[in-house]
Amino acid sequence: MAILEGKNITKKFAGLIAVNEVDFELEPGEILGLIGPNGAGKTTLVNVIAGTYPPTDGAVFFKGERISGLKPYRIGRLGIGRTFQIVKPFPGMTVKENASVGAMFGARGNRLSAKEAIEKAEEILEFVDLGNQMDVLADKLSVASRKRLEIAKAIAMRPEVVLFDEVMAGLNFTEIDHAIELIKKIRDNGMTILIIEHVMRAIKRVCDRIFVLHHGQKIADGPTEEVLNDKKVIKAYLGRRYKELVG
Amino acid sequence: MGNKRLRNYLICGLILLGVAVFPLLFNNFVIRFGTDILMFAIMASAWNIIGGYTGYASFGNVVFFGIGAYTTAVLMEKAGLNFAFAFIAAGMGSALFAIIIGLPVLRLHGHYFAIATLGVAEAMKALVQNLEITEGNSGIYLPMLDLSVKAQYCFFFYVMLGTLIVTLVATYFLLNAKFGYSLIAIREDEDSANSIGINTTAAKTIAFALSGLFTGLAGSVYAYQQAFIKPGSVFTVESTLKMIVMAIFGGIGRLFGPLLGAVSIEVVSEILSNYFLVAHTLFFGALVILSIVFMPKGIADMLTQKKFGLIYFLQNIRKNRI
Repeated sequence: MAILEGKNITKKFAGLIAVNEVDFELEPGEILGLIGPNGAGKTTLVNVIAGTYPPTDGAVFFKGERISGLKPYRIGRLGIGRTFQIVKPFPGMTVKENASVGAMFGARGNRLSAKEAIEKAEEILEFVDLGNQMDVLADKLSVASRKRLEIAKAIAMRPEVVLFDEVMAGLNFTEIDHAIELIKKIRDNGMTILIIEHVMRAIKRVCDRIFVLHHGQKIADGPTEEVLNDKKVIKAYLGRRYKELVG
Repeated sequence: MGNKRLRNYLICGLILLGVAVFPLLFNNFVIRFGTDILMFAIMASAWNIIGGYTGYASFGNVVFFGIGAYTTAVLMEKAGLNFAFAFIAAGMGSALFAIIIGLPVLRLHGHYFAIATLGVAEAMKALVQNLEITEGNSGIYLPMLDLSVKAQYCFFFYVMLGTLIVTLVATYFLLNAKFGYSLIAIREDEDSANSIGINTTAAKTIAFALSGLFTGLAGSVYAYQQAFIKPGSVFTVESTLKMIVMAIFGGIGRLFGPLLGAVSIEVVSEILSNYFLVAHTLFFGALVILSIVFMPKGIADMLTQKKFGLIYFLQNIRKNRI
């Protein structure tokens, strides 16, 4: 059974249909990519899943239970972590405190005390390679480190599903390669991942399956290679010269 | 670590002992001055919970002070209850009011929240001015405390001191628990706090209620001390401003910041008004402006960083882009 499932999700903002009747399924343990041109509705879909907005129509199910309509903190406690495209660290807190807050309030059932959470945070920061910057204030970090901190905060919640919204945007090639390794490691730790990304280099290497949004509608869904060769996808998003460029 | 902790406890104990014997050493005027400082320290510390830690700058916290004062007056004068009961009821009443008003108002952010709370306080003043049970604009008398004058001054001093200690101890424990982290997380980024699993509405409302509780207690003691209160004096915006200035001057978001602010601001303004009868507010205003520019994190930050030189002040300007 799918761990996360969207049925017929529609989100309208006044007259604009940002997401239009989208169905998707996320199987346990997989990395599902969500791609599409700017303005296709990818972030809106993540916001609907995470509870930032209720869907206009349709519903989201987590382990068979309907979660749409719940507040973001309830969805977070159930076991769905997320990152924000425009990173949202707690700027005046240290890196360690940032991750500790995630560990403290995350998934219910195994919530930690303040002291345990701080220990957990240290472990997770080592895991994402921020171990040497634990006592730095979050707003003093470089872009790459901020993205890592955003990931650390989300996985410190010990969620079952994580939604990564463009965690690689703005990174250079070396940093992207690091991020790819990190995301694979996170999956190997038993988390299921939905990832929005524009970086093709990353999508090809981490995603098991991808689905494509265009003008709010799903235009393709399937194994990575297949979708990237789909005519509709090439026309809507990748562009004619994509084949030549990627070779 | 253990040693440092012991030292801190020792310092707190010594200061407390010093404050406790304070009324025995000085005359009534000085005791009253000390009581006022304690009262403002409670109010500034209570403001710090919602304004400093949670990041919701309330410009209407005086409403809790007024409600505490009027609850005490009405319960003692009209219902004939004793002070102990009225004191607790005043705190509870203010906290309850904070919850009722907080649920809609805490949905607003920044300037909008500030204006809304200011409006709440002004509206409550108008209400109290026109209600029969509060005896409107003419004010309300409270029963007098049946003690010698010196004993009265000491009584109010110790009740105020006790309330301040309860406020600070409660704040200390709450802030070192997960609750404190949730407030700071809300201040730093509310959306992020929400998605990380913090029930932001509940946390903000509890913070506001605690702020209301302690401010209401201060109002209760004040009313009994004055034995006569008027809407204009207990609901004045000036009190709110004083709380905010003291909290910022002392160190916003720090446990002892507001206390330091209350002591230093009251002492400085007293000294200034002694020397410059007419122009003291001018000097006082200039002092506040300079201190905000040169040490926006307040006295508490300066003391803990142990930096007193010119470099510290100049760094602050650069760091905070003033």
